[in-house]
Amino acid sequence: MPSIRCPWKRCLKEVSAPVYQVAELSKARVQAGSGFALSVPELTIRPGERVALVGDSGCGKSTLLDMLGLASSPDGAGRFTFCPRGAPSDIPSLWRDGRSNDLGDLRKHHIGYVLQTGGLIPYLTVRQNIDLTRRLLDLPDDGTADALAERLGLAGHGAKLPAALSVGERQRVAIGRALAHRPPVILADEPTASLDPETAKTVMALFLDLVEAEGATLIVATHDRAQVGRLGLRALGHDLARDPAAGLTRARFWG
Amino acid sequence: MGTTLVQVTRLSVRDFLHEWRMSVCFVLALAAVLAPLLILFGLKFGLVDTLRSRLIEDPRNREIKSVVSGRLTRDWFAALEARDDIAFLLPRTRAIAATMTLRPAGSRANVTRVELVPSGPGDPLLPEGATAPDGLGTVVLSAAAARALGVGVGDRLTGNVTRVVEGRRQAAGTDLGVAAIVPDHRFARPAAFAAPALMGAVEDYRDGFAVPGLDWPGADKPDAPRVYAGFRLYAATIDAVAPLRDHLNGLGLEVRTQAAAIETVRALDRSLGAVFWVIAVIGLTGYLLSLGANLWANVDRKTRDLGILRLLGVPTGGLMLFPVVQAGLTAVLGAALAGLATLAVAALINRMFATSLAEGELVCRLLAAHYLLAVAGTLACAVAASALAGYRASRIEPAEGTRDV
Repeated sequence: MPSIRCPWKRCLKEVSAPVYQVAELSKARVQAGSGFALSVPELTIRPGERVALVGDSGCGKSTLLDMLGLASSPDGAGRFTFCPRGAPSDIPSLWRDGRSNDLGDLRKHHIGYVLQTGGLIPYLTVRQNIDLTRRLLDLPDDGTADALAERLGLAGHGAKLPAALSVGERQRVAIGRALAHRPPVILADEPTASLDPETAKTVMALFLDLVEAEGATLIVATHDRAQVGRLGLRALGHDLARDPAAGLTRARFWG
Repeated sequence: MGTTLVQVTRLSVRDFLHEWRMSVCFVLALAAVLAPLLILFGLKFGLVDTLRSRLIEDPRNREIKSVVSGRLTRDWFAALEARDDIAFLLPRTRAIAATMTLRPAGSRANVTRVELVPSGPGDPLLPEGATAPDGLGTVVLSAAAARALGVGVGDRLTGNVTRVVEGRRQAAGTDLGVAAIVPDHRFARPAAFAAPALMGAVEDYRDGFAVPGLDWPGADKPDAPRVYAGFRLYAATIDAVAPLRDHLNGLGLEVRTQAAAIETVRALDRSLGAVFWVIAVIGLTGYLLSLGANLWANVDRKTRDLGILRLLGVPTGGLMLFPVVQAGLTAVLGAALAGLATLAVAALINRMFATSLAEGELVCRLLAAHYLLAVAGTLACAVAASALAGYRASRIEPAEGTRDV
């Protein structure tokens, strides 16, 4: 773009700027004597894209998702920018400088999380759990939480505590909480792995409908390859090499 | 930031109420350790201090008695009075000349023989605010004497003194007013406390001399300075008793004091004080450690919940505030409960011992300052332990904190 004087063009430029731009990202773990090394040679995710990290358990997809979610620090990165809206943030430098509250602010404003087992707050009701991400941002109570609860089939459960819900209902509350503050990026780690296949299908379809309605960027970690094709997600390139002699597993993601 | 802290406070209180069984346990555990400590302090500052003030305030412990008759001049008394560790000093006439027979004025009944004790303003045996005997016209009676005579303050008495001159028994009388009564615990025997003038008059009459002030007949008294047989002496404090005794012994006077008994009680007081502080320090240390450990463990238990709040963007200050709010609630409720329990136990103890206590004395007394100090210490320790634990929890990467184990 030669000129950014025109506001329309500026807008266009920002919309088209990638949400994630990653190069030479790496993270190593040592667990029970065996090593695990994750690397991402190159990764670009654009606004509104729906991306899947596909692989079996232990392939490093959760580790990558944690780093993309600003919840885990990379060991090294040639480049790692996060640009959900406005100006891009240089994530490795924030980690290096120990600016955990700035990372927290980025997470709070721009990312919605669906954890594998819900991660609901046990002492808050269904409605309060969904509304939590909004309250932490001091957003007004404009009926978003109630509308989401209804859309997620939780209309009658608003005053219940998570302990009184089934696993599938809890996962739907978690989805509601991830969407309530309308974040531009939504990350989900095996959101339906703990549900039976039929419920999993319904919940996943509902989840994608809601994400699409928001126009948010979605990154899902899943072991279910069939689901990826069925839902039209873009699967990242992935390979896994085990080196039994060195006791090392090398995983790569790219795309 | 401000709204986040309000949100976190609300979340923390909600969690505290949601886990009310656990919260009740924490509050009870805190109160159960704090209450005995408060009662211990109450006993120390009630019982021990009551005994100590009794020891210090009881003038009998500060008295130094002359044992044998001496020949003490006014100069000798002036020299002794110049010391600054003396509370009260009066010369004593010869014991044999210091008696009188009393009866209520206008009556022949209740005739009572009493010893005469020299007294005056500042006499530590006189009750607070009582009038001291003055000149030749008033005496203060011991309670035993007042009972035997059947008189009270303001009543009139007739005092009689007898002597034997050249084989003939003679008697003289005078009219006396009762200025005050000394209670039994101060002076147990029947006695009349008289001003030095009356003491001297009685001694002079016994010696065969005339007493012009009372119109008592007799020989003219030769113009020589009076020589006294002994003294009534009270040290200013119980600490001054032993030095005064040594001073008087140095002057060649044998005296009797309560110094040995005082030393015994003081040694006991010191030992009890040391034992108290050992128990208090052990108890306080254990209390603060258990409080800190409890709150620390509580934060450990909540690592996952705190990790989720961390993931959702709650800053470090908020994560520290979360356990601090709960620790503060636990500390305040626990300290209040311990305070109530201590008040109840103290009231019970004080009622059990009510009969052996004087007005205003308490066996168990929890001072407001001590209680506030205990609350402040509890709060400070609770806040420090939980803030530290909260800070540690906030240092865990959100991805680690939220992972299922």
